[in-house]
Amino acid sequence: MKIIEELKNNKLIDNPTEIQKICLHKLQSNPLPNPKSELWRLSNKSKFSNFLDHSLNKENPKLDIPYPKNPQSTIRLIIGENCQIKLTEENYSIQQLSENELNKYIKEQISFFDQNENWSDLLNLSLNCTKNILGLKINGSKIPPIEIFSHASSNSLNTKTLVIFLEKDCDIELLQVNLGKENSSLSQSTFLCLEENSSINHGVVSYGEIRSNLLNSLNVMQHKNSEYNLGSLHFKFNYARFEIRIRQSAGNAKTNIKGMQITKKDEQISTYTKMDFNGPNGFLNQINKSLADDKSHAIFEGSIIVPKIAQKTDASQLSRNLLLSNLAQIDTKPQLEIIADDVKCKHGATISQLNEEELFYMRTRGITLPEASKLQLSSYFQEIISFIPVSKDRWDLLDKLLNEN
Amino acid sequence: MQSKMKESDPILEVENLFASTDNLPILKGVSLTVYPGEIHAIMGRNGCGKSTLSKIIAGHPSYNITNGDIKFSGENINSLEPEERAQSGIFLGFQYPIEIPGVSNLEFLRVSTNARRKFLKKEELDTFDFEELVKEKLELVKMDHAFLTRSVNQGFSGGEKKRNEILQMALLEPKIAILDETDSGLDIDALRIVASGIKKISNAQTGIILITHYQRLLDEIEPNYVHVMADGQIIKTGRSELALELEKKGYEWTDNFIK
Repeated sequence: MKIIEELKNNKLIDNPTEIQKICLHKLQSNPLPNPKSELWRLSNKSKFSNFLDHSLNKENPKLDIPYPKNPQSTIRLIIGENCQIKLTEENYSIQQLSENELNKYIKEQISFFDQNENWSDLLNLSLNCTKNILGLKINGSKIPPIEIFSHASSNSLNTKTLVIFLEKDCDIELLQVNLGKENSSLSQSTFLCLEENSSINHGVVSYGEIRSNLLNSLNVMQHKNSEYNLGSLHFKFNYARFEIRIRQSAGNAKTNIKGMQITKKDEQISTYTKMDFNGPNGFLNQINKSLADDKSHAIFEGSIIVPKIAQKTDASQLSRNLLLSNLAQIDTKPQLEIIADDVKCKHGATISQLNEEELFYMRTRGITLPEASKLQLSSYFQEIISFIPVSKDRWDLLDKLLNEN
Repeated sequence: MQSKMKESDPILEVENLFASTDNLPILKGVSLTVYPGEIHAIMGRNGCGKSTLSKIIAGHPSYNITNGDIKFSGENINSLEPEERAQSGIFLGFQYPIEIPGVSNLEFLRVSTNARRKFLKKEELDTFDFEELVKEKLELVKMDHAFLTRSVNQGFSGGEKKRNEILQMALLEPKIAILDETDSGLDIDALRIVASGIKKISNAQTGIILITHYQRLLDEIEPNYVHVMADGQIIKTGRSELALELEKKGYEWTDNFIK
């Protein structure tokens, strides 16, 4: 694990920033997450090592992955490439956070970090230079949809950080796309802060190429009366972890999550979510789907924490999984930790295979087995894809997925 | 059953068919021949093998043919996939039509119809042309256009599901339709609509096999032949009067015919 060795020997960063110094210091004493902890015990060790075996990419080459043409109505930003933005229109403004604002916010976040739970963010912020950090402050209404790209280039480890402050009464549609090239590792950390009465329809779409790896960490802070809707999709990674931590700071907020991960060959993709209600009347509706084929491994671990202060919480977490091969593996563990006594919480998990009787029914109508399987899978995917905002049609996500399977 | 000599060739010939599932024998030597324009009814107690026979003809992968042949238009189809049988003109109307959440009924019908049309070397239909065709066929079963926008059979009542089966039959224009308890779960009005749809679709070139427990469907569609099944065999064959006799005497009467 090249990166860890360099990190231990203090040879990784030449002139570390203040943030990097803090994070490096935290990691140096304990550079790796605890493999026995709940969050890391199922993580494939050799794949995780492979993630850390690449050299840190300090150059930041241009994105050479083809992506759909940008329509005029969408704001498109590529972290590390064209992060300069200052838009002040009649109804809204989008501005970059100043270095001071960014440092202040990130330092505050780091102060709450747990070495094991936030290891991915600590690594990201230790390695990330200022040019790969995009901080935005958004306010107003009728804001055009925003697309933000992060990408990794071959044979290197790339780090990208995104911080977005959504000011009061503001609502946006945001699509984040994380792209991995062959033999690459991408560390993406995202911090979203939703002020009162704000809302985000947030899409996270991540896909790679052969032997690409991803550590994708998402931290969301929701203030009162905010609404956070997340639709996510991860596929085609040798190794990928999607870590979601959402905190409703004072309750009275809404969170809807629909996520899906698709694994093939010997890939491992996992999703970890931690939902923290820190006030009354919080709402969560979460569905996570996994589809595992060949010898691959999909993991979902969800945790909902409802302390005493979070009375009248209404939370639901459902894990629905489809196993397409006898050699594939799915681990799923939705869990609740409830202290409050006046709450409505439910969770559940199902693992099934493609429904044989549905397939036979379609075949008796002349539909071939591959077509029938595609129809079934397309209905399975549709629920998640339709929840991903911004240009999902232009990205042909359904076609991409169906042609992958 | 040996049909009388016909001018045309049979559509379907089931010859001394033995079949099993999980090593459990279900069919124990079934023979049946259907000529164009004929309507056959198969009756029998629950578990006698009626539905299994229909699924095996349609190619259900869970059943193994251990002996005997199924010939369709003179060709042995024992090893054909279910979709190949369907494309060539075998239609199975399900006793319990399957719900497929998330798959639009319209798209399902269009893909199915085009699969059959492709086999018949007819031009495949785009969404617009297909809508025209389906509109006309909806009339046959008195179905509302709204059913097309819903997922396949999802949330349909029992009667609506059966009408959707007949709609599919109308669109696919099969050479032979095997309708497995199409009358079950239907009230009198729905039964008449379904029966009238079947009659309108069938013609001198089509064969129909009606699997049923009751005379009431046969009051609407008079069969040329009635077969009684028991323990995986056809134990008695007669004309439509046989069904009436069965209705009067019950299945116990047929026990005398078990070999």
